[in-house]
Amino acid sequence: MDVSEGPSDAEVVARVLSGEGEAFGLLIRRYEPGLLRYATRMLGSRDAAADAVAEGLVRAYRHLASCRDPTRLRTWLYRIVANRCKSHLGRRPTADVSLEDAPPVADPRDNEAMLEQAEEMALVERALMTLSPEKREAFLLKHVEGMSYEEMAAATGERIPTLKMRVHRAREALLEALKEYQ
Amino acid sequence: MRPIDPRLHQALDGDIPPETLAPALRRDAESLEAAVALLAAAPVAESVERRVMAAVRRPARSAGRRLLRWAIRPHSVVLSMRPVWSLALVAGILLLAVLPSPEDGPQLGAEEGIAQFVGRFPGARSVHVVGSFNDWKPVSIPLEDRDHDGVWQAVAVLPTGTHEYMFVVDGERWVVDPLAGRFVEDGFGRVNSVLIVRPLPR
Repeated sequence: MDVSEGPSDAEVVARVLSGEGEAFGLLIRRYEPGLLRYATRMLGSRDAAADAVAEGLVRAYRHLASCRDPTRLRTWLYRIVANRCKSHLGRRPTADVSLEDAPPVADPRDNEAMLEQAEEMALVERALMTLSPEKREAFLLKHVEGMSYEEMAAATGERIPTLKMRVHRAREALLEALKEYQ
Repeated sequence: MRPIDPRLHQALDGDIPPETLAPALRRDAESLEAAVALLAAAPVAESVERRVMAAVRRPARSAGRRLLRWAIRPHSVVLSMRPVWSLALVAGILLLAVLPSPEDGPQLGAEEGIAQFVGRFPGARSVHVVGSFNDWKPVSIPLEDRDHDGVWQAVAVLPTGTHEYMFVVDGERWVVDPLAGRFVEDGFGRVNSVLIVRPLPR
C-alpha cells in the first residue's frame, strides 16, 4: 500500500487527537523511511538512528496537539527527530562507530558491481561524517530529503541565509573529502 | 577548504541547467549527485513502528507513579544550616536509626515489585537499563559501579508483570542481559531479555 495516498496528514492527526491512537501508525509508515534515512546518515549508526527516530516519534505522539499546522507535519517530525539526533551526538564521543555498523567485510561470493557500490558507499559515508553536524544536517535535508530552504528553516529553526551558507560549505567540504578519498 | 565556483552552487540549486557548466564543474556536480544518490538509496535502520506503537499504547503514568519515580532517582541536596542545628539533626538521625522500624522494606503499591539488575561491563562509562517499563528510554534507570570493579547494578521499583529489557552501555551499545532467565525475539532478528516482577509477599 502506498502510504502517501489515503487520508491527509491533517485528517490523520485529527483522528489521533480524537482518541484513535492506532491511526498514528499510518503517519509512522508515511514518514519513517525518510526519518530513518536522515537519522542514519546524521549519526552514522543504524542502532542510534533507530533510537533517535523511535524516541522522536513517541515524543511526537505525546505532543501531537501542539503541532499547530498539521499540513506541515513532515517538517515538524523532522524537527523533533533532528533534535533527538543532536541529543545523541552530544551524548557520545566522536568517531564512536560500533562494529555492527562498520562497513561489511567483502564476501568473495559477491559480484564485483556490488562490491564496488559498497566501497563507494563507504567512501561517501566517510566523507559525510567529516562534515560538522550542522553542515551534515543542512546537506542531508536539502539534497537527500529534498526539502526547500523554507521547509529546512521550519525543520531546523534556523534562518534561510544561514542554511544556504551551510549547504554551500557542506558541498565544498564534501567535494574536497570525496576527491581526497578517491 | 576551497570555495567552489558559484555556478556549481547555482546548478545544484536548480537555478541554471547543469549542461551550461564547464566540463570540470560538471564532473564536480555529477560527483556530488552520485554521492546523494547513494545516500538516498542505501539501506538504513529497520522499522521502529512496532516499538513506537507499543510505547504509545501504554497509558500515561499517573501523578503518583511520577512522584514515585522521582523519589527513587538520585538527587543532589545541599543543606546550609548553623552548626547547632546540624548537631541536632545528627542526633535526630541517630535516634531514628536506633529505634525499631514498624515495617521493614520500602512501601510499594499492590501492583509493584522490586527488580535488581546486575551486569559486568568492564571499562563502561555508563550503563542504563531500558525496557517496556520505561518506554525504552536509555537514560531512565542508571546502573552504578560504585567500587569500579566493572560490575554495574541498580534496584528499581517496577509494575508487576512481564517486561522486556536490555542494557544500554555508554549510551550507544544495546546489550542483552546474559543472566536473564528468559529471552524473547524482538521481531527484528534480535532478542530482548525478559523479566518477571512479582509483588512482594504481604
